Amino acid sequence: MPSFLKKNKNIKVLIGLIFLQLILISIQVPLDEEETYFEKLMFSVFSPVQHGVVYLFQKTGSFWKSYFDLKGARKENERLKEEMFFLLQENNIIRNLLQKYKSENEINDALRNIQENILHARVIGFDASNFYKSVVINKGFLDDIQKNMPVLDRYGNLVGRIVGPISLKESRIQLVTDNNCGISVFSEKKEVLGVLAGDGKGMCILKYILSTDEDFFQGERVYTSGFDGIFPPGISVGEILSLETTSGLFKKIMVKPYFKFQDLDNLAVIKIKNLNVF
Amino acid sequence: MKNLIRVTAGIIITIIIYTALAKISISAVQIINLFSLVVIYFAMEKGEVFGACLGAFCGLIYDSFSLGVFGVAGIAKTLTGFLAGYVSKKIDVNPFIRSLIFIFILISSELIVWGFFYSYIFSASFNTGKGIVFLQPFGTAFSGSLIFLLIRKFKGVTSKHKK
Repeated sequence: MPSFLKKNKNIKVLIGLIFLQLILISIQVPLDEEETYFEKLMFSVFSPVQHGVVYLFQKTGSFWKSYFDLKGARKENERLKEEMFFLLQENNIIRNLLQKYKSENEINDALRNIQENILHARVIGFDASNFYKSVVINKGFLDDIQKNMPVLDRYGNLVGRIVGPISLKESRIQLVTDNNCGISVFSEKKEVLGVLAGDGKGMCILKYILSTDEDFFQGERVYTSGFDGIFPPGISVGEILSLETTSGLFKKIMVKPYFKFQDLDNLAVIKIKNLNVF
Repeated sequence: MKNLIRVTAGIIITIIIYTALAKISISAVQIINLFSLVVIYFAMEKGEVFGACLGAFCGLIYDSFSLGVFGVAGIAKTLTGFLAGYVSKKIDVNPFIRSLIFIFILISSELIVWGFFYSYIFSASFNTGKGIVFLQPFGTAFSGSLIFLLIRKFKGVTSKHKK
């Protein structure tokens, strides 16, 4: 043993701690394996603290609003009534159109099935290392949350999927902007299939589109194809921002996701595998 | 036992402030590295071994708030805790300006170590948040020096009252 180590036990402690953490990192390789019990434990212990703080914030916020924002509430109410009026009209038109193909009972059952399988969740925490990787929501094991459930924003655009760890009342969502995320998608007009991955900086990259493939349009919408077996088909993900034909085999296509990071508060967790009930 | 309670309280307060800051502005938590401040504060008070152990623990908490490999932040914070405890025993880093420079150097080194491990393990460059993350050493150093100064003043007032 080197003489400086014999003399200084503090250095030994430091080396020991670093060594332990290197072992901890090593046992998690390859990536995307099942989380370690230690990680699950840490998540289960500390995420409720975040949950509590956010709950307190929300309660304080609603208390503040109820006392000082009554004028705003009236305006908001009128706006919501108007919005609801148009949504009801839209709903009726869609129902009437659907009746051409299905009976009233079938439609009602299908709609009920959708409603029962959508879980409302709120974001309680952001990823400490990179905000575009993941968020933590206030729904967990007790709410029947399971891995790989798709998550949408309030407008129905894809946000990501549930990944572990899942604690009793909290779980983590891997965002579509994470560079380890992979989604099978197709483009709206040309219907070209590709794999969408995040760039870790708030945008997505459409991968494996051959340079010889047909050109896409800027602003062309991108939807999930359902071929990955995780995300149901037909969910809007984003639109093509830029495309570049490189000297390599594949095109370089950037996709801007529809969900807005600043607006990421209310989310919908889809509990069924197949949303395409019609 | 008293130390354990103080450290636990410090960590819980940090998580609360971290969550509240993230809810208000996501950039704020990129500018101020709260977990490292707790590590540096206790390392300066209790020494390098305590700092290293607390750094390892706080790093693991930090990692539990992020998706990916568990333990990356732990190594960087362990080194920060150890260095903070070791240097503060040799040099008086309590005056405001010295404390500012001291924390600035520690956080800059931590960012480099963390960035290296992150890029190596994930094979990708880390998100700088349009460069905001580079303000972290100064943001953390300034807020940390100010907080440490206030704590010392508060402690001074309470000890005078006791006498």
